Amino acid sequence: MTVPPEEVERIARLAHISLDPDSLQTLTREVGAILEYVAQLEHVEAADAEPFRPGPAKAPLRPDVVRPGGKPPLPAAPKFSDGLYLVPKVGRLDDTG
Amino acid sequence: MTWETVIGLEVHVQLATRSKLFCDCSTVFGDDPNANVCPVCLGLPGALPVTNREAVRLGVRAALALGFAVHRTSLFARKNYFYPDLPKGYQISQFDQPLASRGALEIESADRGDVSIGLTRLHLEEDAGKSLHDRFPDQTALDFNRSGIPLAEIVSDPDLRSPAEARAYLTTLKQILQYLDVSDCSMEEGRLRVDANLSVRSAGQEALGVKQEIKNMNSFATVERSLDYLRLSQIQTLEDGATVEPNTFSAATGTLRVMRTKEASHDYRYFPEPDLPPLEIGRDWLDEERNSLPELPRALCARLGEQYGVPSYDAGVLASTRALADYFEQLAGAGVDGRTAAHWVMGSVLQDANENKGVLRVAPTRLAALIHMVGNRQVSLQTAKRLFPELAVTDEAPETLAARLEVIQIDDEDQLSEWVRTVIETHPDELSRFREGESKLMDFFMGRVMKTSRGKADPKRVQQMLLDELGR
Amino acid sequence: MTTAYEAAQLAAARIEAAESSGLNATIAFDPEVLLRQGREVDARTTPSRLGVGGLPLAVKDNICTVEYDTTCGSRILENYRSPYEATAVSRLKAAGGMVACKSNLDEFAMGSSSEHSAFGRVRHPVDAERVPGGSSGGSAALVAAGAVDAALGSDTGGSVRQPAAFCGVVGLKPTYGRVSRYGLIAFGSSLDQIGVIAASVQQAAAVLEVISGRDERDSTCADVDPIDISLDRQDLDGIVVGLPAEYFPSDLDPVTRKACDRAVDAMRRAGAVTRDVSLPHARLAVPCYYVIAPAEASANLARYDGVRYGARVTGQEGGEGVDDLAAMYRATRGAGFGAEVRRRIVVGTHVLSSGYYEAYYTKAQIARGRITRDFTAVFDGGVDVLFTPTTPTTAFKAGELLGDPVAMYLGDVFVCAANLAGIPAISVPIGRANGLPIGGQLMAPVFAEQTLLNVAQVMERVVDGDHELR
Repeated sequence: MTVPPEEVERIARLAHISLDPDSLQTLTREVGAILEYVAQLEHVEAADAEPFRPGPAKAPLRPDVVRPGGKPPLPAAPKFSDGLYLVPKVGRLDDTG
Repeated sequence: MTWETVIGLEVHVQLATRSKLFCDCSTVFGDDPNANVCPVCLGLPGALPVTNREAVRLGVRAALALGFAVHRTSLFARKNYFYPDLPKGYQISQFDQPLASRGALEIESADRGDVSIGLTRLHLEEDAGKSLHDRFPDQTALDFNRSGIPLAEIVSDPDLRSPAEARAYLTTLKQILQYLDVSDCSMEEGRLRVDANLSVRSAGQEALGVKQEIKNMNSFATVERSLDYLRLSQIQTLEDGATVEPNTFSAATGTLRVMRTKEASHDYRYFPEPDLPPLEIGRDWLDEERNSLPELPRALCARLGEQYGVPSYDAGVLASTRALADYFEQLAGAGVDGRTAAHWVMGSVLQDANENKGVLRVAPTRLAALIHMVGNRQVSLQTAKRLFPELAVTDEAPETLAARLEVIQIDDEDQLSEWVRTVIETHPDELSRFREGESKLMDFFMGRVMKTSRGKADPKRVQQMLLDELGR
Repeated sequence: MTTAYEAAQLAAARIEAAESSGLNATIAFDPEVLLRQGREVDARTTPSRLGVGGLPLAVKDNICTVEYDTTCGSRILENYRSPYEATAVSRLKAAGGMVACKSNLDEFAMGSSSEHSAFGRVRHPVDAERVPGGSSGGSAALVAAGAVDAALGSDTGGSVRQPAAFCGVVGLKPTYGRVSRYGLIAFGSSLDQIGVIAASVQQAAAVLEVISGRDERDSTCADVDPIDISLDRQDLDGIVVGLPAEYFPSDLDPVTRKACDRAVDAMRRAGAVTRDVSLPHARLAVPCYYVIAPAEASANLARYDGVRYGARVTGQEGGEGVDDLAAMYRATRGAGFGAEVRRRIVVGTHVLSSGYYEAYYTKAQIARGRITRDFTAVFDGGVDVLFTPTTPTTAFKAGELLGDPVAMYLGDVFVCAANLAGIPAISVPIGRANGLPIGGQLMAPVFAEQTLLNVAQVMERVVDGDHELR
């Protein structure tokens, strides 16, 4: 169940990670090996499947109270002006992978 | 060829909570940018979500009022995509186990009469921040005040058959949500957002046509107009023998512009949110909310008509908001008959409210007292209407106010007779002319008496007396 | 009688010495920062609960602190100063704990060797050519080197226990939900727990007591009081120790097996009854873990985009030649993330994508359920604790497994099941092979840390962890 380099490249694009051609090749090989290894899960029977999540059985709910004392300290932003965070103009970011 | 239009609506409504869905930041609108943020809603490393009970409660109430089956167990899920106003790179939403499914909304369709629109689901999710594309050149500016604000997403089945029905759906939905105090549904302040999808098919065809979507509409009128335009455009395309492209349009500029071509392969890779255990709504809680729902608009409207004998159009106006309906009922409860109360509420009260940001300034008991003064002929209806806005700016009882302004009518018989006789005696010429047939001189005599009394004479009594005297 | 300041001085000197010897176990360390905390603890009127002189601890660099930056061993968070500290750290400080330094780790806690750090690999305290294990390798090395008596680590698939075993110290992973994750930078949200690495079981228990307990900032933290541990067992009378067959495969390293046999004998002599048991779905643990953990990680790491904090690389600098937002994202994340992180993000994104979700993620969740029920069945059947080797081998050589990710993952075969099931587990030294430590693992039912730690302490007493088993 190996994935072709185009698929790895597509996923890297989807995850917004740049890759040079060498890295892409290595990554493709390694990801392929990993997916091949975990593919044994395929044989797990779906019948009688009960989901399991650790932790509390139900989400705690908090009262609708605004924190007193205003804004807590926050880290310095890479680019900031007039109280606003700035990024380069959103161009082709439509996530079509 | 007759065409059938198929429309579905997805509405996002901001729930009226004080704090955000997963953190205790304030939800107040209009504060300085990035004033209401914290590690959680900014997506700082190591921060975790904790769910707001009130947001869940409001979601449950909305779901119950809309006839949904509320799921006692539901799950939050991560909806994964990259956008600069989405701090975590995923939105905490709900996917395959939403808070509620299978609801219905009754609307009045101009074409089809009363019709029930199926509602697919209602779920909770957090809002993203706001992107400002025009503040700085070549840059997008981000304000995260809105990030993490609680939203309910309500999805309709594709049951609407015209743009007008879509508008009726929105109006009805908004009214119900306002009745519940779930949201003020202000589209201007972005607390209600609508995405619409539309397709056409030839009448009788079972299969649905290709769907197109419209986003960024800023009013119900725009929704109707945009859908109308799209409907005609699709019909034209099909009649020309071409195919409809599954485009998404933005109505932001006033005309429809293509935003995305083809349903972009948005693979959101949903999976259950591991930072939040299942959302459990206990039976007791559900019953408590169900039993404490207010009377909803339809039922209220019907009852007002029946109980107070007002025509259905009037009942509709009176029931337009819960506050107005309450006011009307209190007025009626203070001894004012239904029709009179309706007349006053639909008139003076509503007008005053519209001029004062929707505030009902005069307490119903005080208005009732004023109306009783009209009944007792202490003031004329006209005077009463003039006095009404004055009551909003004084604490005085209506009687005291009227007395102070010296508008209380005098209907003391002796006093009135004296004035009438005096006016007649001092105008012998007019008297003879009247007796000779100039009947319009009645107005003259009326005017003289009213002037003598400085407007305080009860005009009805004066008229009667003049008729008696002049008739002799 | 030491004051906190004296304890701080001692720790500072020892950390300094350890680092000068090339251990590379710290990412951030400033003696002044530690000494200042020593003075602060001494100035307080409430006595320290963590020993009379306060306790300096190394804190793994994926746990937020305000005294030092928190980098997660990654370029993308280089120079990141968290504006808040993790709940566990606050509680430690309130009890007289001191944040001595931030310890080195595999980037974003992804790894089993502490070789995947942007700030260089951590060396094994005994043999510099070898790895200390991971991902909490820095914490384990510092405790083993005697620089600190205790350290915080994080354990998602064995990252506290495995390095503890490699380095010959105690490593404890609490029940999932025992310790707040608020301020632990997320890797695998349903698997992560802050754990304790310490020179002794008692020391680990003392730290656990302080950091545990409900936290209103973490919805997955159990609504229970901080735990109170009494280590009062003199022997193992009445204790049933389960030995799962699947954890003692026929090809288990002979010296490891010998060490385990010795430990089991010692436990029997101390009064324990052993029972052969089976965890039939054990072989699914590693593949299951390596689907769920990367899946959750791929989402958890999506927030590192250079928008609101951390490093930002423009598209120009990143060689994209275009400066729109997409280019900025790709350049920032491409430059910021190391190879192992990239691998896991790609795997995680893939197993969640439509078309693959059912085959991988859904199946992994089913497997997780079965693995968990195996444990429940065994514990419900009367077993108090399970005993297994912690790792299949002793510390391997640096570089040996870097080219073969799957081989590296297989090293987690005995430890990752406890994270999947959310049960508490601890590694205790049980011997040495050519000087390299061997760890024995105990696992207990959820919230049974009292039992777990008591058995562990007896084992610590009756098994000589320094015994050379050649």
